[in-house]
Amino acid sequence: MSEKINIPDHYRRWEADIKIGKKEDHVTIGYWRDGCKGCGICVDVCPKQVWEIIEAKDKWNGQVVQVTDAAKCIKCMLCEVHCPDFCIKIY
Amino acid sequence: MAFEYEKYLRMDKIPHLWCPGCGIGVVLKAMLRAIDNMGWDKNDIAFVSGIGCTSRAPGYIDCNTLHTTHGRALTFATGIKMAKPAKHVIIFSGDGDATAIGGNHFIHACRRNIDMTLVVVNNNTYGMTGGQHSPTTPIGYKTSTTSYGNIDPTFDICLLAKAAGASYVARSTVNKGKVLEKYITKGLEHKGFSVIVATANCHTQFGRKNKMGDPISSRKWIETREIPLDKARNMKAAELEDKIITGEFISEEPEQTYWENYNHPIHEYTEAYQGIIEKAQKKSEGENK
Ligand SMILES: Cc1ncc(C[n+]2csc(CCOP(=O)(O)OP(=O)(O)O)c2C)c(N)n1
Ligand code: SF4
Ligand code: SF4
Ligand code: SF4
Ligand SMILES: [Mg+2]
Repeated sequence: MSEKINIPDHYRRWEADIKIGKKEDHVTIGYWRDGCKGCGICVDVCPKQVWEIIEAKDKWNGQVVQVTDAAKCIKCMLCEVHCPDFCIKIY
Repeated sequence: MAFEYEKYLRMDKIPHLWCPGCGIGVVLKAMLRAIDNMGWDKNDIAFVSGIGCTSRAPGYIDCNTLHTTHGRALTFATGIKMAKPAKHVIIFSGDGDATAIGGNHFIHACRRNIDMTLVVVNNNTYGMTGGQHSPTTPIGYKTSTTSYGNIDPTFDICLLAKAAGASYVARSTVNKGKVLEKYITKGLEHKGFSVIVATANCHTQFGRKNKMGDPISSRKWIETREIPLDKARNMKAAELEDKIITGEFISEEPEQTYWENYNHPIHEYTEAYQGIIEKAQKKSEGENK
């Protein structure tokens, strides 16, 4: 774990020790709620059901997302790559 | 490891104006990662667009950017490349911008094989103006101008680019962000005119009229129609109707036959143009002696 984690302070963070195959690893998921438009793409592309949609009364379409369990993440990066709004950072 | 998009964005303009889940954001991100793969100085990049939802991208990118008139992105870009041949010129265009109003400029930029990279975000419609049908709206689909279903046959932008003389041509979709990044990177590396088509969802304007008004079902509609080029080669035309053929349409393998690469350009335009400038300068120096 030598890489520098560069997640701005206003991001929400989730962390967990994970296992990818046999390899022990650690994941830090950063999420920018203000930028999130609740499109649900991260929920759809994640192969491990790490993300879920939740109600958000302050958003125009009434929803955002959150991490259910960071320990399930396998760092495939699909959510980070496919979020159209620059809201997810996986380290 | 997370990618630092902030390095290439005007963060005071983000969140962008695109609808929740709009495919353009996914393509823009692939584009920024591709630029990063090249390791270029931001000041050496000129990023040009026309008009449309797709064409709003220059507002968000922190480099030399130009938001031009509808369909004319390639003409402005050509001017930049001729005046500043050392700049890396990238054009970001919609299907309407590149192949409807700008179709003429498109084929001639391909023909000249100018060393620039064009990324076409093909969402099968005019997203910005209310979802009219475009030259890539599939037959049978509804748009605000084809309420009973479209009857106009479509352009295959990749085959069109190839026939017109572009020298790197590839297509992928918003479901494959990393593949888009790879193709755009190859386009940027390529010397000559490169065209990368990114099939994308406009669920708000196009999807909504075709029972897929949310980003997920529009993305799935694209995914179920993707066919890799190698597989498509052995399929009948009728089987390929309404399919999205993905892959690299022109690579520079020397073993390619004439028909596979029949219109392979003989030279790159920027260099040829520099040659003309030098000739003219020599001639006028001679006359002034
Ligand atoms: C000369 C001219 N004609 C028409 C328009 C109206 N117009 C603006 S955007 C657009 C179509 C955009 O479609 P596309 O290029 O596919 O971009 P998208 O919005 O789908 O990303 C049209 C017809 C214009 N701005 N200028
Ligand atoms: S990196 Fe992959 S596994 Fe982890 S949350 Fe994102 S999509 Fe899910
Ligand atoms: S993909 Fe991005 S914008 Fe969409 S719900 Fe997930 S975090 Fe929010
Ligand atoms: S109208 Fe379509 S293309 Fe334009 S931002 Fe919305 S989803 Fe994207
Ligand atoms: Mg369009």
